[in-house]
Amino acid sequence: METKGRFDPNSPAIKAYENELAHQFVREGTMVAFPTCLPGMTTPITHDECRITALDIDSEGHIYGGTSGRRAHLFASAFHDLTGVVLDVGVVPDGTNSVAVCCGKSRTLAFVNGARGGRAIAIPEIDLAQDWIQEWGLAPQVLQDLGECVSKEPVVHAICDASRSTVIGVTTGHLFTMGIESGKVSVIGEVSGRGHLGMGSSGIFGQDDGARLWHFDLASGKIRRAAVDLPKGEWNAGLRWARGGDTGELLTADDAGRIFSFDENQGFRLLGRAHLAPVGPMVMIPDGRLFGFCGNEMANLFCCDTVSGSVSNLGVAASVFEHRRYAYQFGDAVVGSQGEIVFGEDDNDGHLWLYFPKINRVTRATT
Amino acid sequence: MSPGQEIDRRTFMKIGSTAVAANLVPALEAEAKSPGETPYPVKWYPFTHHPDSDTCWSLSVGPDGRIYAAACAESVPGGVVKPVRYNEDRDDLDYLFDLAEMVDDPGTSGRASQCKIHYSFAPSMHDGVLYMATHLSGPPIDLPRYSPWYSWHDAKRCFRGSALLAFDTRNDRVLWWDTLIPKEGCRCLVHDEERGLLYAMSYPRDHFIIYDLHTRKRRDIGRISSINPQALFLDKRHRVWTSSDYGRLVRYTPETDRLEISPGLLAHDANYQTGWHSVFYDVAPSPDRECVYASTWCPNPHLMRIWPNEGEWPRVEDLGPATQARDTTFPIDMFTDHCGGLTFAGDGKLYYVASRWRDPKYNPTPGTGKELQGVVWRLDPRTLERQEVAQLKHPTGVANYVSRGAVDHNGDLFFGHVGNHPSGIFKVSMPAERKRKNAHLPIRMWG
Repeated sequence: METKGRFDPNSPAIKAYENELAHQFVREGTMVAFPTCLPGMTTPITHDECRITALDIDSEGHIYGGTSGRRAHLFASAFHDLTGVVLDVGVVPDGTNSVAVCCGKSRTLAFVNGARGGRAIAIPEIDLAQDWIQEWGLAPQVLQDLGECVSKEPVVHAICDASRSTVIGVTTGHLFTMGIESGKVSVIGEVSGRGHLGMGSSGIFGQDDGARLWHFDLASGKIRRAAVDLPKGEWNAGLRWARGGDTGELLTADDAGRIFSFDENQGFRLLGRAHLAPVGPMVMIPDGRLFGFCGNEMANLFCCDTVSGSVSNLGVAASVFEHRRYAYQFGDAVVGSQGEIVFGEDDNDGHLWLYFPKINRVTRATT
Repeated sequence: MSPGQEIDRRTFMKIGSTAVAANLVPALEAEAKSPGETPYPVKWYPFTHHPDSDTCWSLSVGPDGRIYAAACAESVPGGVVKPVRYNEDRDDLDYLFDLAEMVDDPGTSGRASQCKIHYSFAPSMHDGVLYMATHLSGPPIDLPRYSPWYSWHDAKRCFRGSALLAFDTRNDRVLWWDTLIPKEGCRCLVHDEERGLLYAMSYPRDHFIIYDLHTRKRRDIGRISSINPQALFLDKRHRVWTSSDYGRLVRYTPETDRLEISPGLLAHDANYQTGWHSVFYDVAPSPDRECVYASTWCPNPHLMRIWPNEGEWPRVEDLGPATQARDTTFPIDMFTDHCGGLTFAGDGKLYYVASRWRDPKYNPTPGTGKELQGVVWRLDPRTLERQEVAQLKHPTGVANYVSRGAVDHNGDLFFGHVGNHPSGIFKVSMPAERKRKNAHLPIRMWG
């Protein structure tokens, strides 16, 4: 006996479902999966050493990153002018997990965990502004191991201060600072080392015990524990932050995908809720839209309008340019120099995913 | 091929498109014979007792030397797969069971259904068990289509997972079942019997999965790429081989517990292809187990011979395209340009089925024949000469897309076919002088 489908193919619900399926990948904008190499000319970072878990961007628009896996690599990349290259700068000896990359004024520091603890690694400034279409020349660069940040404690996260001369980092138990040029570490004090750090207008915020934030005042160098209560929500997992807008507001999400903005003076404001949880890497582009990925195992791209609070599901990442590929997990994200977003794919054979958001229609007032 | 090298239809048909494109013309001309010169009678066995069936993605010889096939129903909402077996006494098919019922995931569940077994029969010789693992794509009973990406987070709709089932061929009993890969389908399966391990590729995430038959525990070794390979195979050192999106060999070594990617590419047409999508379609072991023969799941599929036991990375011999030349400015339908069903027979020759189709320029056959044909080729591994020995014939439908082939204990050839409703299998009887008893041994351990 033949099976008959129990549905009306002409019903509005089925037509809506068909329409959803037709747009399940990157519903808005365009994604390009860029391999970790000069395509066609060099080999990408080894498959199981290429989970991209840390990114930052320097003032020239060059993106530096770190990978995780069997071995951690650090790379530099650029996607403007005549570049279009990801340069594998090197392997971090005994490193397996890149947790942060911080682009300073003079050089970039990466923070990598592994068998020899949580270490700071300096990446020299790399001039990628060459003609990578026709003729190029670059000497291999050497990574510099600056040592363990805090003895026997893995690094959890680190960010630059506004001047990009100092890194503020957190291990599993301590807050530290590091001069980008000097490489000198100062352990500031004990904090709860969970989640990423967020930079506010007066200092750094990190996740404290309970549903609270600690605050590190950059001017005084003091840590204030339990400085801010997190709003009502679920706050067990490590926090992630995005920063943007004219005021440099911070954005974060709780374990259930509720998205909040945070202003040091006005506190938290619930913006909306992603359709999946947890919320992973997210960034705000200059027009005020927040983009990020949500959901385990098979993440979906979402967009949150930070003005209206509306959150839309933009589907699963797929690239039909450069490399034809799906992507399911992402580790970090930065906003590129032209407002595009670069996501780091946290998976075997991870790629840098350039996302060009849909351009919103501008309505001009009639005179 | 440059315009100056083009051949006329007569030459093409006489020597076979494969030979032309592979520049094997001189070698083949001597051996090429027209179909029928050596009798290879063909018979079609439709899955009439599973009228929903639309595909047969798995056909393998079981540990008992008999032929097992999967009557899959993937285009039907709530469709389920029913394993069948060729009954040589009745010269017909036995329908073994409704697999969805056996694993307590019926087609009416509201989830994506247990609709097919996709290159995922794997024999166990010491105990007569045939392992089988299901794949996804069949929509829930009340929806017209299913997407594993879209429904991944939907507890009501998401595929429960690939069901692994152990079927005892000695007494026709289902011994046990387990979920091999939650939420995902199993695209292909291989059994390392000495170590009691099954290896599988997941779909859609393309993860490499190891299942320990003793502990019934699975481990996820991680993602390979985006396009599933359609075959996994073992070498003598218990290493598992497959391929990546960009046409590279992928090797899992148990001692290092690591997936590695080869520096070289699998065979493809370098004139216009990059290697992308040159994933394995079908892989057949040579009888001495020193090498394998493979075809790719790619337009203009190439045949290859690979020596996995040699060197740091195996030597890959490109044996040329398996199908005819075509207009490369247009992306041909992948159900038209296809090669599968690779298997060695009792005569020590490799048999496979490659499609052939009418083409105004490259194969302008008159309108009397089928527009699409499934051609059975016989390749001599010593000389690499090939001979067209038969054409598969379906009474009313198509016969060009063969998924898998196998030889039974009597030495006859069988091919699973995709594209008719109901679907079914072909039997190609071997000439008496070319068959031998227990021709299926040593048995192929992968689907």
